[in-house]
Parts: sequence; structure tokens; C-alpha cells
Amino acid sequence: MHKDQTGRFSRRRMIGLSVAALSAASMLLSATASFAQSVDLSKWSPEYIRSIAGTEEVDTAATCSKVVPLDYKGRLTYWWTGPNDASPDIERKINDEFWAAWKATYPNIETDAQNIDYNQLLDKLRTALLGNAGPMVLRLQILGGIEFSSKGYFQELKPEDVGYPTADFWPGAMKSVTYEGKTYGIPTNNETMAFIWNADIFKRAGLDPESPPATWDDVVTYSKTIHDKLGISGYGMVAKQNAGNTPFRFMPQLWAYGGSALDESSDAPTYESVGLNNEGTKAALQASYDMYVRDKSVPVSALTNTQNENQNPFIAGQLAMMIAHPAEYAKMVDLAGKATGADKAVADAVVANMRYGLIPEGPARRAVVFGGSNMHFIKNEYVDGGFDEQAAKAFACFWNSPEWSTKLAWTGSNPGNLAGFKTKWMKERLDTIKFLDVTTSMLPSGIPFPVVPEATEIMNIIVPDMLQNALTGKMTVDQAADDAAKKVEELMGGGI
Amino acid sequence: MSSVTGQVAYAGAPVAPKRANVFKRIFNHRNDYLYVLPALLVMLIVIAYPVYYTIELSFFKTPPNLQMKDKIFVGLDNYWAILKSDSFREVTINTAIWTVASTFFAFLLGLGAALSLHREFAGRGVMRAVLLIPYVVSAVAASYVWKWLYHSDFGVIGALAVQLGLSDKPINFLDNVHTVLPSLIVVNIWKEFSFAMIMLMAGLQTVPEQLLRAAQVDGANAWQRFWHVTFPHLKGVSMVTVLLLMVANFNSFIIPWIMTGGGPAGASDIWITQIYTIAFGRQRYGVASAYAVILFIVMMTLGYFYVKALTKGDESRAG
Repeated sequence: MHKDQTGRFSRRRMIGLSVAALSAASMLLSATASFAQSVDLSKWSPEYIRSIAGTEEVDTAATCSKVVPLDYKGRLTYWWTGPNDASPDIERKINDEFWAAWKATYPNIETDAQNIDYNQLLDKLRTALLGNAGPMVLRLQILGGIEFSSKGYFQELKPEDVGYPTADFWPGAMKSVTYEGKTYGIPTNNETMAFIWNADIFKRAGLDPESPPATWDDVVTYSKTIHDKLGISGYGMVAKQNAGNTPFRFMPQLWAYGGSALDESSDAPTYESVGLNNEGTKAALQASYDMYVRDKSVPVSALTNTQNENQNPFIAGQLAMMIAHPAEYAKMVDLAGKATGADKAVADAVVANMRYGLIPEGPARRAVVFGGSNMHFIKNEYVDGGFDEQAAKAFACFWNSPEWSTKLAWTGSNPGNLAGFKTKWMKERLDTIKFLDVTTSMLPSGIPFPVVPEATEIMNIIVPDMLQNALTGKMTVDQAADDAAKKVEELMGGGI
Repeated sequence: MSSVTGQVAYAGAPVAPKRANVFKRIFNHRNDYLYVLPALLVMLIVIAYPVYYTIELSFFKTPPNLQMKDKIFVGLDNYWAILKSDSFREVTINTAIWTVASTFFAFLLGLGAALSLHREFAGRGVMRAVLLIPYVVSAVAASYVWKWLYHSDFGVIGALAVQLGLSDKPINFLDNVHTVLPSLIVVNIWKEFSFAMIMLMAGLQTVPEQLLRAAQVDGANAWQRFWHVTFPHLKGVSMVTVLLLMVANFNSFIIPWIMTGGGPAGASDIWITQIYTIAFGRQRYGVASAYAVILFIVMMTLGYFYVKALTKGDESRAG
């Protein structure tokens, strides 16, 4: 164990982690205690979600005026990853409506907002912060913030600072903005993935078209059955190196079998032990190996595929099942709309046969990555032109309001502010977006990635490498798991 | 030969100390230096400082939980960590294979194309334009197109191979540790051979026609005319072309990064992709800088030979 200032197991760090663990635990308790004010997580189910939708009226301008007067004059800079040309039309429409509403509500706050591509935002931010040229406010994917919190770039920020109770946010989401006992952000939106399958392929393969595989062992069996009977890929494995997509698909499987990267799947993680070489991890890795190498029932291109590359075979009826984002259905409808000729009939049939279900269970649990994004405030000294606190708070209040938190997460996510689930817009989403209730019901099974600065490296590099080492035969399953665990231990011990 | 005459003329002259000679030459050309000063200053800012900072950073540890200003001095630890790592050997072998194979075959193909296009034939202009396409196509676009051509499940090449009966299933180009690097090298050669072709076509213009005719009259066959007359005249331009290709290939990032990201299992990881991963994937700017310094030394060595090849004969002519 290293004891220098970077060592993960230093006394200071231990104390910090203990405080963090205690805070998380107390947050869980306090959140549970105050859920009567918003939603009741203990009842979370598709039925409950539908029962509360549309039961509460909100007035965003009135709420935010209590935080910052509507006539406040100031300046705001904001970076986020918003809708792009590939996004469904409705996302772009809502984005335009948001900026118009913001301008109308706070007309005197001059706003410079930069919509930056998902893959570029982190690098751009790192570079900008080195030159003290960051924005005032920032929305980052859930795994991205901890690096900057630990480096001291972010201001402490909690929902109460912008007018909302912490109890109105998922405890798991709050954990993702908490570092060494301090809160550095507000969860803007949260989502969990679900399992999608093509009912027609299931039927042709002799499987129950309306039931997804119940366990991960079933996934292996179903995938082989589909491949053997129909000659197409069963499960849409994703195992690309250096790609965030990979852990989002593999970690649910790993956690389900009882594995973990550190101890993030436990109720009160301390991030002090490594689980990548435990029996659960090896069982999950073996299941992937069986599908890719033994049964050859998944795409050969899994090693270079991200989820995007799985969309085309799925809509073409060449892939039976995969873990998918809530927005996948909208994406498939979009793709079917663009198809022509004979492809159009195939794509329409796939959309008609598309089903959403819960991600399969494993021997240990049902699990999914708790995803989403968080909003952060950057410290004054790192902001280009200085930090305008009132403008930033007004904006955070507006964006994270039940109204806009819901609208801005329309097809791809869910409101970070749980009060959004009670709005009429949530009801509209449930009425218009197919399977939304299913994907939303996965939220309680969500496990956040480890809240440590090294999480990006563990998830985006070490875990995909482990998979690739096993699937290419470069290492055995045991060797790959042991190698990955060794790398994580070195990393957490402060190794170069 | 002028160079020989020059040497004879200086042979009897007193030999001035070299340093004084350099300063005198700078003084005599002071106006020229003034003209290039703005460009030199810009280069100092945009090249010299980043190089200096990279070297400085290579002696520091930059863990992901510390700001750059809090970096920790570790001396040569980053260099040792790289040199003794298991991946360094693998990545270096990949880099050597990638660079040498890409350079050799791109040059060979470019030479063949240049020789073919040097002769008059109908449609030569069109052919020249067609062969230039890979060079002008964006490397990013080309990488994505090739990625789909090679796709292990739905690639056009694999499908053609199956249809033609060459294979019973689509060929696994990119998802196999043994085939991925050769597959990427083919793309790189396709992208680069036009550059070699252009350079060598320019070189072929300098081959004296009368020498070729004289050799033909003397009974030399096509191969002998090429080997004894054409190729010696292409020596200079070939040297420069090979060096430029090598430098470009050592620094080549787009094709391997977009097509495989260094995978599968590091089988297509080369120095430059490794540096990018260490810096921006792992946030180890110190280690990445040390890696970059090693690459920089290799590049400077190649650069030295490049400049030497480029300025060969200049000094004697400058007198």
C-alpha cells in the first residue's frame, strides 16, 4: 500500500472514504425518510410510475424566482452534450423550446451555450481547465465528474442550493456527485438500460416470443439456439477497446454473476477491495467466452463494435437481442422510417416485433449501470471571464426543474428531479413512448460505477481489455480476470 | 563536376575556425535572418514550447486525482515504467511492422504507378486523377469506409469472398489478433501510395531522355535501363519519399484509431495510439509525455536523415 499523497489507501483517503460511505448511508436514510414529499421509491414499478404521472402542476418561473429574481442581469457560459443531427427530431425541438423558455424567463442573462459532442467534451474540458478557460456551468455524463471533483475544479453544489431537496433525487445519482463526503453536483437525468429482443426471431427459433431470457445463463442458451437454428447472431455483444459502451453492456452481466470492479455493487461501497478476479467476474467472463468463442453465437465484430454497430443488424432482423438504451425504440422507429424498398418491410416488421424487458438476473442479483448526467459549477479561478453565481444558480434551477428535467430527458432518459415523474409531461411520455415504463423500472437495480477518479480508466480501458484478452484467446478467462485485477490494484495503489 | 572544383579551389586556402565562420556567415546574411524572424518566433511558440513542456512533463507523475500544477516529480521513473512494461515490447513490434511494411509497399506501389504513368497512353490523365483519389480522400472518411468493407459480419469484401467461393464464411479481418495489423497496413498503403507516386513522377521528369536512348542503342533491355539509368536518378527523391513516408507512418493515428482503437487485445496498438490512450484514456500525461519523447527522438533521427538527404550537395554549392 502506498502512503504518498496519491495513494488510494492513505489515511486521509481512508477517512475521506469513510465519511463518504457514512454520508451515502445517511443520505439513503434521509432520502427514504423524506420520500413522502415527492415519490415513494419502495413502490417503484411500472404501475406506480403510471399512477403518479400527471398528478402535480408546476410553475418553473415561480419556483426559480425564489432562487434568483427573474430580472437578474448577468452572464452565463454552459457546456453540455445536447441533441445532434442523429437525435430524434423531438429532442431537437425540445432543446429549441428550452432555450426559448430560458431566454423568456431570464431575459437579462446573456447566455453562451456550447453543445459539445459526447466523445469530445471530456478532453475539451480537461484542456480548457488547464488554461483556466472553463465554462461556469457544465453537464457531464455520470462517470465524468468525479475526476474533476477530486482535482478541485468543481464547487460544492447540492440541490438545495438551487431550490430543490436532495430527497427528490435518486440516492444512487447523489452518490455519483459525492466525493469524500462532499456534494459537487446535481443529477440532471438518470436512466437505466433494458433488454430488447425481436419476438419474431424468438418465435422462429422455437423460443417464447413474449418472454426474454430470465437469467444470463439463459442468454447464453438462447443465443446459441438462435444462431444454430437461424444462422444469425443471438446476443449483441459489445466488447470494443477504449469504448464506454463496453462496460455499460458487460458490467450488468458481471454484477449479476456476483463480480465487481471494486466493491461498487455492495450497499455501502468503500472502493478498497478489487473484485475483478472473484468467482462472479470469472463466471461472467466465461459466459461471454462461451458465446463468442465456443458457440460463435454473437457477432464476430463484437470486438470492434460499439452499440451503434449493433443497431443496423438489429433493424435488419439479423440480431435477436441486446442490452439497449431507453431511446433505442425511438432510434429503431427512426431507422425504419428511413429504410426503402424491401428493407422497409423488414425494418417495419422488426419494429413491430421489438420487445423490451428487464435485464436478466444472475446468481447474485439483477443489475444495470445507473446512468445519466450531472450538472456542476466550476470554481471561479478556472472559469473564462469569472463565475456569475446568480446566473449559474438561476440556470441550474431552471434546467433541473421538474418541468425541464422531464422534457429534456424526453426519449433517452428520465428526470433527475424525481418530482418530474409527477408532471403532466411524464404522463405524456408514458403515453407516447413505448416501453418507457419498462426501462424506468430497471432504475432500482441500477449500480453506479465506482465513484473514484480512476473509474474512467477501470471501466473504459481495463474492463474492455479484460474482455478482449479472454475473447481473443490471448489469455485464458482466469488469466484475463487476474491480469485485470492486478492492473486495478496497481492503479488504486498509486502506480504510474 | 562543380563540387570537385570547389574543393580544389579551397584546398590551399587557410582554414578558418568553423564557429567564427558560422557567425560571420550569419552576420553577412543578417537581413535574411530578419526576414525569417517572424516565422521563427511563431515556430518557437507553437513548436518549441510544446516540445519543451512535453519533455518537462515526462519527468512527472500526473495521477487522475491531482491537478497538473500538483504533479509529482519522479525523475526517469516514467521512462523506466514504459521500457519495462509488457506492452511496450508488443507495441514497439507492432509499430515497426506497421511503419516498415506500410512504407515499403506504399513506395513499391507508388513506384510502379509512377513508372506506368510516365509513359504516354490513352487515358493517362484520367488514370493519374483516379490514382490520386486515395491521397485526397479524408483519412477519417476512408477509415470508416474501410471499416465497413472489412466488417467481420457484414463487410463487402467478406461477402464477395463467400460469393466467389473463396471462403465459406465472411473473412475476419479486424476482429482477429493475427489479421488485424496486416488489414490496417493494406488500408494505409492504399492511402499513401499516391503520395509516393506523385513524388516519383516528379523525379522521373529529371531522368535524361538521351541517356535512356543511349542505353537502348547499347542494347540494354527494359530492366537494365530502369536499374542502371532511371533508378540512380530517382535515388534522391526516393530517399526523401521513404523518409517522409516513415515519418508519416510513425505518426499515423487516424486509421488504426478509428478502425480498431488499437484492438483487439492490443494487436493493432502502435506507439501513437498507445500515447493517446495513456494521455486521454488514462490521464497519465507524464507517462504519455515520456512515450512521446521516445517517439520524438526517433522522429528527430529520421528528420536528420531527411534534411541531410534534402540538402545533399547544397553546402558544397553554397561555398
